[in-house]
Amino acid sequence: MGEDKKEKRYKTGLLRSLWPYNFNAERYSYTLHRITGVILALYLIAHVFEIYHFALGPVAWEQTIALLGSLGIWEKIGLWIIAGSALYHGANGLRLILNEVFGMLLGKPVLPEYPYTPTSLSRNQKIAIYVILAIVIALWIWAGLYLLEGLGII
Amino acid sequence: MPGKYSLLKESWIMILMYTLALIMVFVLTIHLLLVSPLTGKTFDQVLTYSYVLDNLTYYRIVFGLLLYAAVIHGLNGLRIVLIEWLHIRKFQWIINIIIVILMAILLAFGTYTLIVL
Repeated sequence: MGEDKKEKRYKTGLLRSLWPYNFNAERYSYTLHRITGVILALYLIAHVFEIYHFALGPVAWEQTIALLGSLGIWEKIGLWIIAGSALYHGANGLRLILNEVFGMLLGKPVLPEYPYTPTSLSRNQKIAIYVILAIVIALWIWAGLYLLEGLGII
Repeated sequence: MPGKYSLLKESWIMILMYTLALIMVFVLTIHLLLVSPLTGKTFDQVLTYSYVLDNLTYYRIVFGLLLYAAVIHGLNGLRIVLIEWLHIRKFQWIINIIIVILMAILLAFGTYTLIVL
């Protein structure tokens, strides 16, 4: 790869940073943590204003629920994405706290030597990432079935 | 010392983020359990006015903790993501101010909701 081309790749910004080029398991989990975090932060803003309608009384609340219900299946799909984001962000966040606060699941620090394999991506770390993913997917399917039940689909 | 455009030292903010995250693990779990299939109700039933009112009044402290933890953790997370993605130092204080104002608005609306019930 020529220097110019390499330089251009480093300057392509946000979209390229999310593009899974040469990612390992840790980088995938980091990217997903960021994306789910932004989804949850945006949902939080909407959710606080949604719940504010509850304080305005039962009529305002029923109107809000009816308005959201009018979105039909899109409301359920949106909530399903939110549920998945919350499950993943929470579970992966716990792993990050174990890593960064308590120094657990990390490999022993070593001098950097070619090919610079990250010691933080130890066997235990990989197991933790895959276990989290398995639990989140199982709970996410459960949440999806629960939301579909509300539509009378199952 | 905090940087020119910082409101607090970032290392202290990160400790706050971890602490709020741990608080949220507990309070958000309670919140999700109250709208989960374990309640024995359908999703539409857990959104009825009487059910939500019962939960919000009985678990008022839990929801208060959740509100403050989620708003501070969530919006600070958004601030960090925006600063890292935009990567322009002079935008940092603008982002900081917008986030603090948004935090204040959300906490005001949320606190009002919890107090008037």
